[in-house]
Amino acid sequence: MTDQTPLATRRTVLQGTLAGAAATGTLAVGPGMVAGPAEARSRFFRHGVASGDPRPRRVVLWTRVTPNAAATPGSGKGPRVKVVWQVARDARFRKVVARGTVRTGPKRDHTVKLDARGLRPGTDYYYRFLFRGQSSPVGRTRTAPAPGSSPDNLRFAVVSCSNLEAGFFSSYRHLARRNDLDAVIHLGDYLYEYGNGYYAMGFNNEVVRPHDPPTEMLSLSDYRRRHAQYKTDPDLQALHARVPFIVTWDDHEITNDAWAEGAENHQPDEGSFLARRRRAYRAYDEWMPVRMGRTAKVGDGTRLFRSLRFGTLAEISMLDLRTYRSQQSDMVPMPVPNPDASHSDPDRTITGDAQMRWLKNILGLDRTQWKLIGNPVMITPVVFPPLPTEITDPLVDMTGLLPKDGAPYNADQWDGYTADRRELFSFLADRGIRDTVFLTGDIHSAWACDLPVDAGAYPLTRTVGTEMVCTSVTSNNLKDYSDSPPRTSSLAIEAGIMTMNRHVKYLDFDSHGYSVLDVTPERTQMDYYVISARDDRAATVRWSAGYATKAGTQRVRPASGPATTRRKASR
Amino acid sequence: MSHEHCSRGSGDAAAPFARPLGRRQLLQLGAAGTAGIVLSTAIDTPALAAKGKKRAYVLVLDGMIPSEIDSGLMPNLKALRDGGTHFPRARALPILETLPNHVMMMTGVRPNRNGVPANVIYDRKEKVHRDLDRPEDLRYPTLIERMNRRGFSTGTVLSKEYLYGIFGDRATHRWEPAPIIPVSGHAPDVFTGDALRSMITEHDPNLVFVSFGDCDRMGHVDLTGPVSLKVLRQTALVQLDQQVGMFIDQLKSTGRWENSLVLGIADHSMDWSRPDRVISLTPPLSADPFLAGKFEVSQNGGADLLYWTGPRGQRDEALKRMRRIARNVPGVLAVRRPGVLRLGARAGDLVVFCKAGWRFSDPEVHSNPIPGNHGHPATRPIPFFISGGHPVVRRRTRSVRATTVDVAPTVGAFFGLGTPRGGYDGTSRL
Repeated sequence: MTDQTPLATRRTVLQGTLAGAAATGTLAVGPGMVAGPAEARSRFFRHGVASGDPRPRRVVLWTRVTPNAAATPGSGKGPRVKVVWQVARDARFRKVVARGTVRTGPKRDHTVKLDARGLRPGTDYYYRFLFRGQSSPVGRTRTAPAPGSSPDNLRFAVVSCSNLEAGFFSSYRHLARRNDLDAVIHLGDYLYEYGNGYYAMGFNNEVVRPHDPPTEMLSLSDYRRRHAQYKTDPDLQALHARVPFIVTWDDHEITNDAWAEGAENHQPDEGSFLARRRRAYRAYDEWMPVRMGRTAKVGDGTRLFRSLRFGTLAEISMLDLRTYRSQQSDMVPMPVPNPDASHSDPDRTITGDAQMRWLKNILGLDRTQWKLIGNPVMITPVVFPPLPTEITDPLVDMTGLLPKDGAPYNADQWDGYTADRRELFSFLADRGIRDTVFLTGDIHSAWACDLPVDAGAYPLTRTVGTEMVCTSVTSNNLKDYSDSPPRTSSLAIEAGIMTMNRHVKYLDFDSHGYSVLDVTPERTQMDYYVISARDDRAATVRWSAGYATKAGTQRVRPASGPATTRRKASR
Repeated sequence: MSHEHCSRGSGDAAAPFARPLGRRQLLQLGAAGTAGIVLSTAIDTPALAAKGKKRAYVLVLDGMIPSEIDSGLMPNLKALRDGGTHFPRARALPILETLPNHVMMMTGVRPNRNGVPANVIYDRKEKVHRDLDRPEDLRYPTLIERMNRRGFSTGTVLSKEYLYGIFGDRATHRWEPAPIIPVSGHAPDVFTGDALRSMITEHDPNLVFVSFGDCDRMGHVDLTGPVSLKVLRQTALVQLDQQVGMFIDQLKSTGRWENSLVLGIADHSMDWSRPDRVISLTPPLSADPFLAGKFEVSQNGGADLLYWTGPRGQRDEALKRMRRIARNVPGVLAVRRPGVLRLGARAGDLVVFCKAGWRFSDPEVHSNPIPGNHGHPATRPIPFFISGGHPVVRRRTRSVRATTVDVAPTVGAFFGLGTPRGGYDGTSRL
């Protein structure tokens, strides 16, 4: 296996650089590059630029301005200022197609977020911000194809679980060098709440880069500072500047194992959980290029579940599986099977009623061929053992002693809320809805799975979709917990899980990296890329595996190599 | 409440097949080929011979599930599909039954305009449940008739008796399905394939509308379906693929391929239910004194059509009760008004769909013993592809939704036909 990451062409980079230099004599304006003297950039736009939630005619643009030395993130200090934004068809901003002014100040931590409207579908754009005559780095973004169009191809990076203390974000660096992405789908744990050294790299907890603030995030200032720190990472900045993000949160944007009214990592002496969550959501709204509450306006709502369409080819429904969920069952250490009968209690939920209704409505409309679900935690049944429902249901109805779908090894995912899963899977089966692919993060490991209605009867049961799980960018996984070299002790556990759960077709418990989902009308293919080392700033990457779901099959199958690039050279 | 039944359908009670000859004088051309194929030709049709070089073949793979083409059992069909434009998002339309979807294919309009919403309806005038298998049941000009009027020749090779019945003598050349398997009411694919090739050899029509029935019929009776083994079904797939292979060989070996468009499609897919997953709405509806004796249930596999036959003034209350009762029966997925589904008045007052893995059985719980059924939303996905050697055919896959109602616009556009009066409900997928 070799490093097969498509890189930006030399020509593309040179074009941007030379064009900028010609225009100003000092500017180099490739996406993410400096668009003004270095000291101006560092003084005013220290946290980069970003775009997100692309729609056919609009996209969210984001930056943070630092108008003076006092206006540090989380400080609540600094003046109210105006920032100009521009969107152009060209990197030299000769064809500016949209512009405006945004006010910001300490009440929103000097972040700038807006919906740039009036754009053309399926089009590349460049954008920048101007403050006191100085330009931010130039970002590039791309709008979604028109609703009625039928794109031949879409390609998304799929990432999750990026813990700054556990390593460098080499995955982001490699993705930023690609020239073929429509968007980055971030499935949560974009940042971590822990204080220094609490949850760092490996068994020995080595802090590769210390968190700021050094303590666990609790106050609004803490959350803002932590977001700001992550946004200073050069690899993350480069990726944000190059590709729009489509994000959802998991638990660590708030705190570990969050549920509707609490969290494992929230103690009574830390104050009200709901107040803490409001602060976390506020900082997220300020610092992420996302439409919360359905708009880009900060503070007008916290609804994060939403869908984004890409012509007739794909619709991405991003879920929020933390805000509305019932409390987890009494947890047992992973991977010990958890026989708590409450997992199948129909009164417990992971989605909440409103989100489930919304999701079923989106899926029922069946507006696109591929129904992609941005799913923060795994939905595939991973239980010991999976038994046919015809056996377990009557037994459980009679005794109430076991969960209906078997004992899961991780009750923090859909396995701990199986009534919701049954409702969703039945909905897909009953309506004849095909080509649903769940894209999942959270679990720091890479999986490819079929989704059987009745896991115990697999493969002699219908399947309603597939699930592709990306591994962590840096966060620890099984080899770290077991203090074993990669691909040694984990292999036996992987084999055990796949033997008991035959619908799990691929599992890598040890690697870190990113995934790329290639979407065509014929199939989707998830390619799994693995980085060489988390603590190496220059880590290399290699293609590790690929799994495809052919249209209409609801089954994954291995791919012989990474999806080939079909982009035009100009992309 | 009457359940007299005067013809047959998918898993329906059998009755003698009576085909009205219509006004045309028929010329039977006698045996063609080794199977004793009998083809009929209307001698008063304007065009007995084909007009021009273009040929179109609409291959209906009755009841096929799209993924079955990728099962490894159907290399010829897979090659045919992959060589053309494939629409993996294709869907059949309600009611997911044979007659309505074949009729939608050939009319390009929905049942509220063509008059054929289901296989079986309750005929309020005749006061019987019957198949919509009479030529006059189809109330909209078909592509076949419109092509005939433009001087093109047409042919039908329809393996099921009720299909032969409803399309009647519309085509220039027709095959009367034979031999017919008792109860199933269809001719096996090996004979259908022979008839198709014979029709091409003997008459070479511009358009042939052919429907292979084994996949559907073997699926209906496949007792291994509920556990996904589908033993009978898979043997049918293999045989069907052989017929497709011989058909393609014929086109290529006779030089027709370069002028041909081959549209592959199904009228619905298939779902299987266990013996204990049966819904019979008649008993709970009859248990309501307000409804008892004043309703009819036309069973269409995975869909029941409910008709209020009581006083008009009590209809609103009756429908409210029927809806409430039906919704509470285990296995029922949804209750819809026919208007919402564009089914027209013949579909009755309410349409009830079952969940995946269930079936209806009315009036008695044992009335429908077959495990394989369709009619409900789980059986919407269908194969749909446009292949052939004609230059208009492009090799690609498209994510747009194609449906059975798109067939007539597509084939019509291929032959340069305009839109019918009132326009199509479908879209050309060329």
